[in-house]
Amino acid sequence: MSRLVAEIRAPTGTEPVRAGRRRLGRQERLAYMILLPALGTVFVIVTIPFVIAVFQSISSDDGTLIGLRNYARALSNPLLYEALRATGIYALIVLPAEILLGLAFALLVHRTVRRPGLRATLYVLAVLPLVVPPVAVGVVARLIYAPGYGVLNYLLQSAGITHSEIQWLGVPILAMGSVATVDIWQWTPFVYLVLFAGLQTVPRESVEAAQVDGATWWTQFIYIELHYLWPLFLLILFFRTADVLRVFDHVFILTGGGPGTTTQLLSLYMYRIEFKYFDAGQAAALAVVVLVSISVLYALVTRALPLERT
Amino acid sequence: MQRITRREFVKRTAVTSAAFTSLPAILAACGTSTGTSNKPSKLVIAAVKGNEDAPLKKVAPKYQSETGITMEIVEFPYDQLFEKLVTTFQANGSSYDLCMMDDPWMPKFGTMGALQALDSQFGFQRDSDIPAVVYDVGTWPPPHGPVPPSEQSKSQHLYGITIVGNVEMFMYRKDKSDAPKTWDDVLSNAKKYNAANFYGYVIRGKATNPVSSDSLPILWSFGGNVFDDNWKVQLDSAASIDAVTFLTRTLKTYAEPGAENTDAADRSRLMAIGQAYQSTVWPGEITDIVEDPSVSQVKGKVAYIPIPQGKSGKGLGMMGNWLLGIPKGSKNGSAAADFIKWMLKPDNMRNYVSNGGIPIRKSILNDSSLTAANPYFPALAQSFDAVPNWRPRTDQWNAVETSYGTAMNAAVAGQTSPQAAMQKAAGEIRTLMKNAGYPS
Repeated sequence: MSRLVAEIRAPTGTEPVRAGRRRLGRQERLAYMILLPALGTVFVIVTIPFVIAVFQSISSDDGTLIGLRNYARALSNPLLYEALRATGIYALIVLPAEILLGLAFALLVHRTVRRPGLRATLYVLAVLPLVVPPVAVGVVARLIYAPGYGVLNYLLQSAGITHSEIQWLGVPILAMGSVATVDIWQWTPFVYLVLFAGLQTVPRESVEAAQVDGATWWTQFIYIELHYLWPLFLLILFFRTADVLRVFDHVFILTGGGPGTTTQLLSLYMYRIEFKYFDAGQAAALAVVVLVSISVLYALVTRALPLERT
Repeated sequence: MQRITRREFVKRTAVTSAAFTSLPAILAACGTSTGTSNKPSKLVIAAVKGNEDAPLKKVAPKYQSETGITMEIVEFPYDQLFEKLVTTFQANGSSYDLCMMDDPWMPKFGTMGALQALDSQFGFQRDSDIPAVVYDVGTWPPPHGPVPPSEQSKSQHLYGITIVGNVEMFMYRKDKSDAPKTWDDVLSNAKKYNAANFYGYVIRGKATNPVSSDSLPILWSFGGNVFDDNWKVQLDSAASIDAVTFLTRTLKTYAEPGAENTDAADRSRLMAIGQAYQSTVWPGEITDIVEDPSVSQVKGKVAYIPIPQGKSGKGLGMMGNWLLGIPKGSKNGSAAADFIKWMLKPDNMRNYVSNGGIPIRKSILNDSSLTAANPYFPALAQSFDAVPNWRPRTDQWNAVETSYGTAMNAAVAGQTSPQAAMQKAAGEIRTLMKNAGYPS
């Protein structure tokens, strides 16, 4: 936009106009007009609800302003820390697994698959999990893990690996693992696609020069490819962390947050506070806290990203 | 032809577009009323999607043909219906003329003042053929039991009429044993019949509402409770912990694996495929699965009885009635009330039963000619006669149930001891009720 403004500000032979006082040029007005619907939409569906949430977070049910009391209640609720703990464990399982698996697939395909047709097929296969609604994924996963009729137990018992049913959704550690595997299945392809695209930007000459110098696949990765992938890792980490804080559907369907509160992630907890406890003030306070935390995280990640700035 | 300026063109286009986009809304507004204010062209019902509203959908066209009023049934899943109704009532919306309500929702809606009074506004009177408890459950503030502090000064009115006469009962395989009279009998039968791939008892242990519904009749029958008459939390009392220990430890020994994830559909399936001996049951599960010959292998082999007696000497079933009410925002209250009255007429209720409906009229429940097709009717009539318990009448019930149901789920999963689970739930509920202005 600054370049556009600079062009528009080019004088037309008359006296230069002082910044802030000048009239908008025709192109500039057009630019603002084109932006207006998008800005209006953002204002209606993001800004207004956010302002309402902030207002709710500092008021009681009858609209009386109560300062930070809702924040104090939200932050002193021990269930919040159970939810944060569950979310942290979930993130520690899914993020490394998705990044490592996605990277492994990307490197494997980049280095071994040369036929464009096969690459395109793998691309389509990788996109499929991403477009399946999380609710459907949850329902299918339930058919896999459910006690009594779950496919996984049937296969394990048929193969003689186990002799009795494993309670995938009933034992705390297994329940967390089960809901995490669903996330890993759905989102590893996203990591793969991003990193695979990143690998295509690595200059062929650098790789060939390294190979001539006798670089192994590992040194080639560490000293050349990783340099190009690093910003993408941070990008993935940011997007996936934000996603983990929003995970809801498949966990709700698979375990409903149980056993106990083992898989009650932050989003499930906030849902309960709002729609089960109908405590709009506390839920709004939590939402604001999460939003601010995410914004801080975003600012840190953005600073760490070695992106070109104009 | 006169040329128009660009400004004029934009102005005319805007006016024409506004007129066209407003037209459907204007027509719709006209369509909701056909001349007289008493007879609208359409009534909109917010309903729960599932076996509860299926019979309603089948009989509504008859009302439509008799009156000319179109019946539009908008369905939502259970949780979403509650959320939708709360947000609609908060906005005093007029989207729905009638709403289906699970009976534990009545305190919330009653406290909000969200419904139109059926007795004072539309002349509803009690019918002796309908159990008194059915009217009581639709009355706010509640006619008996503790009343929330904020509601004690309000006068009682009828706000909802039951159209699904759900009461939680008990089912067992009658081809294997006689009816259990007590929970000790239930335990000994569970022990006796438990075998590989045949479970002595089925626990509906999924977190929150499912395990709460499954365990409350046992809790009450053992003398435990959620609250006493002064809203003091009783979940960590000796009787309550004893009941929870019985279910989550003693009886669980003979229960299906993965009980902590079992919901009503899983329970019915286990019974229907002949892999379970006994459990609690809701009427909807009976007609839909256990007695449906197209999916059940045990049709005719299962008996239905009221909840067995516990250590308190009583067997207390639990109300799960679905009511019809008229939102305050509805502009068609009189026509909506007429529909409810139509549903209650004996002939229409018989038609409703023949379409799978669960009746509330004693004369229908005790009609022996209907028992063959509805083997649970006598047990349901007995359950109504015994006056089943309702869930505590507080607008905080959803939150209470979430705490209790989460703790129960942890106990069923063996994650915590029954005592620790109940102490945790009791602590959370005490804080919650205190914050809500209750004396707990």
